[in-house]
Amino acid sequence: MRIFLACVVAAGLYGQQVFFPEKQRQINSFEKVWTTIRDKHWQKDPGGLDWQAIHAEFYPRIVDAKSDDEAVAIMREMLARLKQTHFGIFPAAVYNDVEGDGGGDGSAGIDVRVLDGKAVVTDLDPASSAERAGVKRGWIVVSANGKPLAPVIEKLKSDPAIHELALERAVRARLSGSVGDSIKIAFLDGANAEVTRDLELRPERGQTARFGNLPPMHVFFETKKLGKTGYVRFNMFLDLVRVMGDFADAVQGCTQCDGLIVDLRGNPGGIGGMAMGMAGWLVDKPDQRLGTMYMRDATLNFVINPRADVFNGPVAVLVDGSSASTSEIFAEGLKDLGRARVFGTKTAAAALPSIFERLPNGDGFQYATANYISAGGKPLEGIGVTPDVEVKLTREGLLAGHDAVVDAALEWIRKKK
Amino acid sequence: MTRRYVIAALLGFTSFGFGQDEPLPKAETILDRFVEVTGGKVAYEKRKNEVATGTLEFKAQGLKGSVTRYTAEPAEEYFVMELDGVGKIESGIDKGVVWEKNLMLGPRIKSGTEKAQALREGTFNASLHWREFYPKVETTGIEIIDGELCYKVVLTPTEGNPETTYYQKKSGLAVKTTTVAASPMGDMPLEAISADYKNFGGVTMATKMTQKVAGQEFIITIQDVKINQTLPPDRFDPPAEIKALLSKAAEKK
Repeated sequence: MRIFLACVVAAGLYGQQVFFPEKQRQINSFEKVWTTIRDKHWQKDPGGLDWQAIHAEFYPRIVDAKSDDEAVAIMREMLARLKQTHFGIFPAAVYNDVEGDGGGDGSAGIDVRVLDGKAVVTDLDPASSAERAGVKRGWIVVSANGKPLAPVIEKLKSDPAIHELALERAVRARLSGSVGDSIKIAFLDGANAEVTRDLELRPERGQTARFGNLPPMHVFFETKKLGKTGYVRFNMFLDLVRVMGDFADAVQGCTQCDGLIVDLRGNPGGIGGMAMGMAGWLVDKPDQRLGTMYMRDATLNFVINPRADVFNGPVAVLVDGSSASTSEIFAEGLKDLGRARVFGTKTAAAALPSIFERLPNGDGFQYATANYISAGGKPLEGIGVTPDVEVKLTREGLLAGHDAVVDAALEWIRKKK
Repeated sequence: MTRRYVIAALLGFTSFGFGQDEPLPKAETILDRFVEVTGGKVAYEKRKNEVATGTLEFKAQGLKGSVTRYTAEPAEEYFVMELDGVGKIESGIDKGVVWEKNLMLGPRIKSGTEKAQALREGTFNASLHWREFYPKVETTGIEIIDGELCYKVVLTPTEGNPETTYYQKKSGLAVKTTTVAASPMGDMPLEAISADYKNFGGVTMATKMTQKVAGQEFIITIQDVKINQTLPPDRFDPPAEIKALLSKAAEKK
């Protein structure tokens, strides 16, 4: 997440009242939220509102709020006036639940999704400690280092402010730690017997990518042939030079393929421009765009420049609730243009460059800085990409060695022949 | 006429309206004076090509890189930026073909307003040729920019959006340009600040350009400019991907 510089906290500018520390925290938090929207929202009049009048209306209520909870409720009411998604206040307790005790660059090599309320292993990194320890797709993660996951999942799922993306991040955070450490994970195996594995935490899959001020991140790119169908998967739109090159190689190496699958499940996005560049390998028609991003000072068209040797076969894009941002821009854009068929489950509905910051009272504050409209004229934020073909992973399918989403895409491609 | 690099953008300098009784000089006079104060027509015409090298920085994003620009008479250009984490961003002009290539957007041939804008900026010794590019130029006011009185000149090109350039009254140098620049992602308001003028081979040019577009600011610092170099004959040839696009377009015709 990109963190912007802290906005001006204008406490004390609105009179000479003396406040107790709790009240001052509430006021500082309110001012940070209000000022951030004023300065960062993509509309100069956020949501078409007179934002100064909003301050005049809500500030006295914050001053009179009897508790932190009441102050947060007032701030949420103010944000609700925008009638826009991705503006929210997350109570500090929920924020802590999402971040968890784990976290770190060390990974056991397990990818999980929450299926029917349970954390199910959906993939294993090649040669990871989990794979070597015999962990299988379809196993349920019961606990990590003795801490059960079920209560966390239940609690987060019950909070309407927590989306699938955040839920799965919360689970993953509990399965990670420092490189070199180990983690004791209890699973339910295919026969529902509890098994425990001590797994070494190793650097995450892929190569370390750096981009400006962003923290280093691990990016992998995978390409293979599924019969005559090309398949590419990458975990982030980052490491631009390598990933764009690998994508180009994959497409150019697929001239005889009967179709191409681009698997964006679990891909949280990254550099938006990469979606345009990749689409240029798949769209032959000139003057097309994936969509348009509206910012306060500019309107950016996500244009597609067709390459000289475009892949013209059928394209399937795979998504799930952890596909966000650039993944959604890519999937919905190609879907709207009629160039790809989208398979999987609804995406994270987080297409906008939204930012999370901590407020002075410890709560989390999320806000968006742009609006995005897809090629078909639909906003993605808060709505997400609805697949053409909805296919859910099931534990049974995973245990049987099937990826139902890939299978559905392959079947469609073969029928297209 | 400051060269603009439409990859991002800026704000920052305070600009106030400034009333005064003195009649404003004609825009033609201001533009010709710019040529004079930066070296004069004779000095410009001694230059047949130029190789400029420098750095590029997006401070807010923490991105840094290098820039190299080759230009030659009459309007040949090859410009390459290498930005950490982004790779090469190349653009050029060769015999009227205006192109760009980068890993993000891929290779493309520029057309329309964007092409016209690139040709204006890529023409060698562009400052000498303003009459060819701008059928209408007008001095519209005088403002203080960064503490200096500046004439505000609006240049309207044959094709594209008007450009407003501010020339210091005292020095005659161009210090700021605003326009709505054409880019592959759409028209974008752009502000460019030119500073640190230095003499290279008899012509003075800005060596620090701060630009703001689409909410992003970056700084290009020119460190060295070499004049009248022996350039390889294929220096301005478009890359293979551009040639492939040209062939494909020709086939479609």
